Order: sequence, then C-alpha cells, then structure tokens
Amino acid sequence: MASATIYQHLQQLLDQGLTVAVATITDVKGSVPREVGAKMIIHPYGQHVGTIGGGCGEADVIRVGLDVIQDGQPRNVQVDLTEEISMNSLGVCGGIMNVFVEPWRPQTGDVSTTEAAPSAAN
Amino acid sequence: MNQPILQALLNALRHHESVVLLSVTHGEGRYADAVGRHCLLWSDPARGVVGDLGLGELADQVYADARQALAARQHRHLRYRDAEGSVQIFAEVQAQPPHLLIVGAGHIAVPLAAMGKLCDFQVTVLDDRPQYAHPARFPTADQVIAGPFRPELRKLREQGMLDEHTYIVLVTRGHQHDVDCLVEVLDDPLAYIGMIGSQRRIRAVFQLLESEQGIPPEKFDRVYAPIGLDIGAQTPAEIAVCIMAEIINVMRGGPAVSLSEQIRRERQQRRERLTART
Repeated sequence: MASATIYQHLQQLLDQGLTVAVATITDVKGSVPREVGAKMIIHPYGQHVGTIGGGCGEADVIRVGLDVIQDGQPRNVQVDLTEEISMNSLGVCGGIMNVFVEPWRPQTGDVSTTEAAPSAAN
Repeated sequence: MNQPILQALLNALRHHESVVLLSVTHGEGRYADAVGRHCLLWSDPARGVVGDLGLGELADQVYADARQALAARQHRHLRYRDAEGSVQIFAEVQAQPPHLLIVGAGHIAVPLAAMGKLCDFQVTVLDDRPQYAHPARFPTADQVIAGPFRPELRKLREQGMLDEHTYIVLVTRGHQHDVDCLVEVLDDPLAYIGMIGSQRRIRAVFQLLESEQGIPPEKFDRVYAPIGLDIGAQTPAEIAVCIMAEIINVMRGGPAVSLSEQIRRERQQRRERLTART
C-alpha cells in the first residue's frame, strides 16, 4: 500500500476519535521482507492497515504498538530475522530491521503547532 | 497535535507535490524531548516548514539534509551528534507517484490499468475511440482520455505529464498508431517507453524509421520493444503482467532480462561493425 493511502487511513481513524500507532521501517540490514519507509497503522482493536512484512516480526511490532497507544511513548523496535534456518524457526529472512513506532492522537483543544508557520530560519 | 502536519501532508499528496516528512526517532541529552515530533517541508525553502522539531540551531542543517533526501527521492535516517546530545531523524520522502500512461484502450489496457493502480501508479489511458476510452471500462484509472493520439500526447506534454516519472506503454489497435506515438515521444525525458510487437515487426519498423525518417538508430536503444519480460505470456492478462513486471524491473533496477534485449544487442553490434569498418 502506498504511503499516500496509509495517511488517508490515518486521517480517517483520527477523525473517528481513535488513538493509533504508526510503525515505520527506518533501517534495514541484510535480507528483510520490506523496504525502508514501509509503514503500517496499528489499530487498538486489531484492524491494522498496511504491513511491515508480516509474520512474527510484525506481531512483535503490533504488541509494541499497543503499548505505544496506551502510554503515548514512541519506541524503536529491532526485528531480528537472523535465526538459523530450521523447520521450527520462523524469522529466517537473514536480516535485521529497525522500526519506529509512534502514537497519533485525535485532535485535542491544545493545538501547539500552527499550520504553515514559516520556520525561524527563513 | 500532529494534525496540521497530517493535513498539510494529505494536501500535498492530493496535489502531487513532492514533500518530506521528518520524524524524530531518537534523542539524547538536549534532544531527548524532541522524540516523536514531526515537521513537513518542500524542496523550495520559500515554502516554509509546517511543524517544529524543537532542535534549535540544528534545524537548518536537518532541513538542508532532508531536502537532499527529497532531491534523491530516497528515505534517509539522519543522525547528528554535538556537544549537547544526539538525535536521529527519519526523513520520509513523499515523491510524486510514478505515472503509467497507456496508449491504446484495448484488451491489454484493461488488466494493465488495474495492475498499475495496484502497484501505486497514477494511471492514464488514451485512445482515439471514445467507446473504448471510457471511464466505465477503466474504473480505477485516474484519467481516461478519448482523442486523437498525437495531439493528445502533445497536450499531455504541455501539462508536464511526459516527464521523468512517466512510463509510457504503446499498445494501440494498429502498429501504425504505435509507431506514430513512438515518434512523437522519442525525445521526451520519459522513465520508460515500451511498444508492443513481434521481434520481426519491431526490427522492420526501426529500420524503416532509420531509412525513411532519418532517425539516428541510438535513439531506439531506450525503447523496450518487443515490450515486456520473457515469461512466455500468452493471454492479454498475462501480457499485462509481463509489461508491468518490466516496468517494475526498470523502476527498481532489477536484473530481469527484457524481450527487447536481443534486438537491442543486434543493433549495437551492427553499429560497432560499422564503426570498425570506417
């Protein structure tokens, strides 16, 4: 899913008054299922949008996302897919990826950022 | 909180503006409080910045690096360390989406337009037959144009739509139209030009264009004709897969071999022989 579509979903969820977490792949090393910049929205009731690669790694990120929704603290998660290849292990792509997981809350009264405020530098 | 930034971002995406979203992913020392903050910027510094990362004097450097990432169309995880602490910022590039321009609205165009949309392309379909170039036939396409081929292509050029983000596929009902359109767009800075046809036919067409229209043969080197990857495709839907696969291969710099490779090599060898002789 293109990130353009992800942001439209994000807007809809926020408009419904939901707090969600957004996970973004920020670094990759070796073979991983998706590219830097891939995103997913973690939904408090399980209606997630997009994918950062599926499988156990994604399940870990979803668990972290639920914590992020709870306490509002952004976190970095390292997903390690370098296990030995065997019938029992699941994460065997061969690489490691870092995922940034951050909360997005619906609009509240205390808006501190003003739109299109020119930066101090300009 | 983040809403003005999200609004501005969605607005930019709607208008196909290239922007970069910055998110602070990690901070220590003076920058610890910045984690989770965002801002949005355009390549033109005069457009200003939406949001504030709270990085103080470091901001100018970050903005400059983010604009570089935008110019390179590549996400980057920026890292900084100074006497006051360290900070990491993810620069997420929202570049203009690639544009798939399908010329000819026949049997291949229908599955190809759907697939292009699935692969996140902006899709345009053009044909001179209004009963084929019809939105009902291409429900997911962004634009369906019914009109004469070359004048419509010129209009698209005037609108800046024949640019380096555009992948053009020539699959009209008749080879003469394909060739006309090819001659029209041969000098545009397109990301990809693909034209359907058998090897025998393509060879003959290129030779004819060289001898009768005096087009230098090197100009055909960037044309993918016969179009697509060699996967043995037969049906219109399969051919659409082989075309889309080639476009992805070109866009991502993949290693797959195009059907056009053989006659491209023949042409280059012929040129080498000619130079060797003189």
